[in-house]
Amino acid sequence: MVNALKGILIECDIPMKQFIVSINDQLPNAQKFIIYDLDDTHLFVQPHVADMLQNKVKDFLDKITYEKPA
Amino acid sequence: MDFIRYLSELPPVKLDRLYESHFTCQAVLRSLPPIAKQYVLRLLFIEQPIAGETMRGWAKPEALGKHNAAMERLDQLRVLLETGGKSGKKDASYRLNPVFQQQLQRALSGAIGPPKDPLPPALASHKPSPADLNAYALKQWESLLLFLANAGAPGGERRGDQEPSKMIKGLLRRAGLMGTSDEGGVRISDEGFRFLLMDLYKQLWVVVREYVAEIEDQGLDGAQVTCFLMELGFYPLGEPHGVNRLSSLQKRVVEDLASVGLVYIQKAGGQSCFYPTRLASNLSASLSESSTWQPAEGFIIVETNFRTYGYTTSPLQIAILRLFTRIEYVLPNLVVGTITRESVNTAFSNGITADQIVAYLQQHAAPQIRQRVPVVPETVADQVRLWERDRNRVQQSRAVLYEEFPSQERFAAVVDYARQVGALLWQNPIERRFVASDGRHDDIRAFIRNQSRT
Repeated sequence: MVNALKGILIECDIPMKQFIVSINDQLPNAQKFIIYDLDDTHLFVQPHVADMLQNKVKDFLDKITYEKPA
Repeated sequence: MDFIRYLSELPPVKLDRLYESHFTCQAVLRSLPPIAKQYVLRLLFIEQPIAGETMRGWAKPEALGKHNAAMERLDQLRVLLETGGKSGKKDASYRLNPVFQQQLQRALSGAIGPPKDPLPPALASHKPSPADLNAYALKQWESLLLFLANAGAPGGERRGDQEPSKMIKGLLRRAGLMGTSDEGGVRISDEGFRFLLMDLYKQLWVVVREYVAEIEDQGLDGAQVTCFLMELGFYPLGEPHGVNRLSSLQKRVVEDLASVGLVYIQKAGGQSCFYPTRLASNLSASLSESSTWQPAEGFIIVETNFRTYGYTTSPLQIAILRLFTRIEYVLPNLVVGTITRESVNTAFSNGITADQIVAYLQQHAAPQIRQRVPVVPETVADQVRLWERDRNRVQQSRAVLYEEFPSQERFAAVVDYARQVGALLWQNPIERRFVASDGRHDDIRAFIRNQSRT
């Protein structure tokens, strides 16, 4: 029987995927959100983590870019 | 949004009403592509339907694309009506919209210009010069934009020295340019930010369209207002017109539009008259996109090191620059800012796109750097686009994953179906798994059910 799962498909480049995987690995088992690691650039995750991921990615990108002080 | 789009979205009944004014007809004629103009003039005095086949013969075979585009435009605007034959078929024949035809004939052969009013002597001595009118129009329009821009700036909406009227505020809200903030004050919306970066002509039409809709919602005659606005465009600049011969609705329009600078009202000794400004003539005259009237000279210089110099005193232009640059100095006639990742990211989160930023810098480039190719240094333009792409590095979409298909054939059939309905996002035939967008889940589930039954 065909099985259908609701979630969020994440599409990104390879480094970003690794970053997301590492977030997932740091969480305790109960909170892991990756349902399937589809391929190098695609992940299928729980629907409720959308905002959390967006923020983490943004923080990460902010941290690794140099901003000239005002 | 522009005039032609506006017209072609109107229901036929309303459109036909608009054509009852020969000013609208002339404005439409002006706005058509050259080949369509020619067709209209050819057909102008022919009152019988012309076969589509014949019309196709007017264009050289290699210009068929242009011919079709012209026909489509004419059809959208209901200038050309299909008669007889089966509609959409090859043997359809066309004729000009009779109302349009009659009005245009009148306009072209009758030599009816805009009405002239003798200037009441009380006002004659104070006749404003064209330069005064221009300055007035710009000042009014800028105060409207400034109000909007300040509503978006942190620190409050009350900094502008002049507030637009309640009616105008209502219009901005209607157009979705402004919303209500959490604290109950006014707040500029994403749409509003984009509005600020549009060119003048588009901005004008956004406001006018909402104004007409507003009039209609009040149960008044919107078509009369549109016709009147078109008519204003044909009035010679700097000539006064008496208010007395206008209908009561038209009088109201004049009063309302004075506050955004479309017309200038002069009052003296109990008499009043109005002068249409460049803004008003722009409404219909610049229908062809080529002749956009740039209200002010460019003032921005962008350097390759992301420094941005704006030679301006206008608080509006400073406010707009502030949307996407980090302002460093504000001098009496110059603002210096830097385009930084942070500053453009704020702009992106307000719904402004990288292309809009680059286009704005380009359109308002100072005359000294106009000749430079490209006007905006490549490093800057590319970096702004890269920052935008960086923001969208991770894309998320609500989706459903399907798995455990009993056979490869069934899997292939469902994937095919998902692709046909445009929902397929990802697939892996080896593991028999695929992901489709959330919106089509019901359809796909029904398809799978059906499949397992047979």
